[in-house]
Amino acid sequence: MKIARLAIANIRNGKSAALSQLVLIFIAALLLTTGMTVIGQIGSFFDRKTDQLRDPHAVMIIEEAQFKPEYEQFVRSYPGVSSAEAEPILLLNGTNFLFNHSNMSIGTVILNAEKERSLSPLNLIETSKTATAEDIYLSYSFKVSGGYQLGDSFTFHYKEKDYRFRVAGFFETTMMGSQSMGSFKFYLADASYRNLADSLGESSGGRLLSATLGDRYEGAELLSDFKRAFPEMDTPNNSDYTWQIDVGTVKSTSTMTVNIVAMLLIAFASVIVLVCLIVIKFRVSNSIKDGMRNIGILQAIGYTNGQILFAFVLQFAGIAFVGSVAGVAASHAAMPFFGSVISSLSGLRWSGSFDLAVQFGSLFLVVALVLAVTLQSSLRIRKLAPVAALRGGIATHSFRRNYFPLERSRGGLDYVLALKAMMAGRKHNAMIALIMAAVTFGSIFSIILYYNVAKDKTAFIHLVGVETSNVLVTANSGENGQRLRESLEKEVGVDKVTVLDLVETRMEGETVYTNLSDDFGRLENNTAYEGRHPKYDNEISISWLIAKKLDKRIGDTIQVEAGGRTYSYLVTGFSQEINNMGQVANLTLTGMRHLIPDYRATSFHVYLEGKSNEPFISDIKEKYGDAIRDVIDVDETLKSQTGTYVSAVFAIMVVVLTSTVLVMALILYLVIQTSILKRKQEFGIQKALGFSALQLMNQIAISFVPVAVAGVFIGCLLGCLCTNPLLALLFSSTGIKSVQFVVNVPVIAAVGAVIVILAYIISLLVSRRVRHLSAYSLIVE
Amino acid sequence: MGRTLIRTEKLCKSFSNDGNQQHVLKNLDMSLMEGDFTVIMGSSGSGKSTLLYAISGMDKPTLGEIHFDGQEISKLSNDRLAKFRRDYCGFVFQQICLLDNMSVLDNALTSGLLLSRNKKKIAAKAKELFKRVSLSESSWGKFPSQLSGGEAQRAGIVRALINDPKIVFADEPTGALNSVSSGNVLDVLTDIHRNGQSIVMVTHDIKSALRGNRVIYLRDGIICGDLGLGPYSPELNSGRQERLKDFLAEMGW
Repeated sequence: MKIARLAIANIRNGKSAALSQLVLIFIAALLLTTGMTVIGQIGSFFDRKTDQLRDPHAVMIIEEAQFKPEYEQFVRSYPGVSSAEAEPILLLNGTNFLFNHSNMSIGTVILNAEKERSLSPLNLIETSKTATAEDIYLSYSFKVSGGYQLGDSFTFHYKEKDYRFRVAGFFETTMMGSQSMGSFKFYLADASYRNLADSLGESSGGRLLSATLGDRYEGAELLSDFKRAFPEMDTPNNSDYTWQIDVGTVKSTSTMTVNIVAMLLIAFASVIVLVCLIVIKFRVSNSIKDGMRNIGILQAIGYTNGQILFAFVLQFAGIAFVGSVAGVAASHAAMPFFGSVISSLSGLRWSGSFDLAVQFGSLFLVVALVLAVTLQSSLRIRKLAPVAALRGGIATHSFRRNYFPLERSRGGLDYVLALKAMMAGRKHNAMIALIMAAVTFGSIFSIILYYNVAKDKTAFIHLVGVETSNVLVTANSGENGQRLRESLEKEVGVDKVTVLDLVETRMEGETVYTNLSDDFGRLENNTAYEGRHPKYDNEISISWLIAKKLDKRIGDTIQVEAGGRTYSYLVTGFSQEINNMGQVANLTLTGMRHLIPDYRATSFHVYLEGKSNEPFISDIKEKYGDAIRDVIDVDETLKSQTGTYVSAVFAIMVVVLTSTVLVMALILYLVIQTSILKRKQEFGIQKALGFSALQLMNQIAISFVPVAVAGVFIGCLLGCLCTNPLLALLFSSTGIKSVQFVVNVPVIAAVGAVIVILAYIISLLVSRRVRHLSAYSLIVE
Repeated sequence: MGRTLIRTEKLCKSFSNDGNQQHVLKNLDMSLMEGDFTVIMGSSGSGKSTLLYAISGMDKPTLGEIHFDGQEISKLSNDRLAKFRRDYCGFVFQQICLLDNMSVLDNALTSGLLLSRNKKKIAAKAKELFKRVSLSESSWGKFPSQLSGGEAQRAGIVRALINDPKIVFADEPTGALNSVSSGNVLDVLTDIHRNGQSIVMVTHDIKSALRGNRVIYLRDGIICGDLGLGPYSPELNSGRQERLKDFLAEMGW
């Protein structure tokens, strides 16, 4: 009890310092708990959603013309399948609609809302009170990312025709609910569905084959075995539209970005925890130094060194405990904000639950670290003799150098005095520089991330694995492809045309999405980070993830399986892309013909020069309408698809920048306040000599400028040098080995300058305290 | 007799302590002449230091007026008071109050460079003053903690004189010194007074008080005695000493 009283008295003596420490720990615990909660729960959240929504574990979409009853039979009788369904649907390959204020081109599947189904029943989370004949039900991501509200008009463009509907509800689904799936599903009211089916004709009919399994992750195996059983479904170019996906892939794709966002939060929280620990070390040392006489008095009246030490530990650990509890509690309040970010990334309503282990974990972590640092910093009390303490400690004369002698130093008096003060407080200045470097690094990291995702997107898009052309034209058959390509090359305003097809292959048991091109060197996005892409028919480049899984090095051979054939290729390089979970390889068109002899390219990337996308698209549709299956405005689609990432990264940037300013303000407040208290007499003497309060404030603020500049410079430098390697580490699970994000030095320099100016202004504001002190009282005290 | 340098009218200073008002200076009227070495004496708590800091612009009076060389200073803002101090005043403190994070020379320059940007000129002047107060050259680069009390106080006097102040305020300048050092410091003050420097000194030491040419005695915030002693001379000191002792006895010292 006596000890607790001592600790409380110590806290009372430095109320504002205690409050600053409390706020820092609060921020750290809040971010740490939020990040850990998301990472800890995102997997089970997705699984829970799959179960709740009764979503299938494997899905196949097959054109009606291609569909055979054996397919359904195979799925129903596949070992482990608990339920299966084959539902007639409308298959619209290459629909265009507005999403996030940009034009998105994507494949869509349309289902009848009024049809009974046991798997993935329509699960409306918002619905209009009235019903009309034009009602359409969209997935939740249209609300959180797409910019749609109930009652809005929704128009999609398909085969030169506009189809207008009214948004009557939003539903949740794990399958085909967000853009990351590469396909959307919509539900139409029965009458609308029938009208649309009649209007589109039989060619748009399809079948949605879904299955759930006892072990949900066997979905991938089911699909793989299906392709083996029916090789015709494994041959590219045979169909307008076939699409297969399993719940494992959906889960990885949906949760990947959320995990990265959460990891960024945890990383930044760790930086703040580190800042807290540095501050606590500084505060403990200062408290011991300043309270030396009091320690001596306590010793003299019979307190043991252990009791005094325990009071210190109790004081700091107590603050850490209160701050952490508040931070953990506030993480509940903050979850809706992060939940909306998660929803926009996954298209699912976040419903994180109270995770006791995570909450206690972060609480324990923060308090334990504070405890350890406090103990380590206050151990000197144990060796302190009462007499020495009463004399204010072992007073040693510090015959140090007279830095910046006024007679010889250049610059104004206030400036040189500030430099002197800076040199006198080297220890705490080093601490400030370290903290400034850490928070600046966090800010620069988030700014580089935001700049590359929202402003200059090329590097980010290349990382995803998308070719940055202007228009993507898909021929309706391989036979027409070559002619179409030659014609496109001759079009006015076309700079070049490249080939880039994607086919699904298997390599030694792994499903691999293989890019095909006649010349990878002509593509804008060179995904090879080591070695090179294939040039000859017997060469292949594989992603780092595949190389790791199959233990392949450059120069090894690899067996590729597709269309019922197998061929061995020489690995010439390693590539990277986030698309398709990094399960990627690259083959030449001639190389592909070893597997599918009559393979012809159908996807052509068009790069325009001096011509806009829109008129070009309408021109070629008019000219080559019959030969074209689909035309995608790549710029517009990328704009709409990157919108959700922009919001997520913007949220991170706001959190990091706000925390940076807050942490900086708190640290400067803490240090300047301590410094004013310590230098009270010095300031009093200066005031007596005729220094104005503004001069003293300037001296204090200027003394921190070189420190802030050094810290910010180190932070900026680290940000410039380490952001790309750190991002590569973050994305490594998706097969990324090297990130080449643009490091815009002028922007970073401007941010650095703003942080330094802010530090100066904060210092100036905090040092206003000296205004209220009279010269007389400063000397007398 | 010189002209009036400082004049106070109904000067009051009160301090509030836990709601209790403590009136330290009570309607004090006083004039200090240019070129005088005025000594303020009084028992502990009589208001000596409070008066010194009020008339020097270090603290603001609660009521009343203070005129310095014809200018009313009691209503000046803190920043204007700072400018007033730097322009007209020099201070010598009992606790010496040198800035301990800088050399002795830098301590003098910190004050000197407030009024002049000519570093060479101010440094030369500081060195000349150091020689005048007999502070050896080897001390100039030292930190205050490396000097004896007497040396440090002489350095403090140099700092007070560097801007050629109209008046030097000394608050018990020998209070923390041994007798030899005290003698040295008093000799320096006497010397500068002889050269026309106005000085106001608070002391409770008779030896120190003898250096002044006027002694004001304060009791309970009121001036209750004012003695003209005439210029100090070591040779003719015994008569002055007697007069001062009689005066102090009369004041109840």
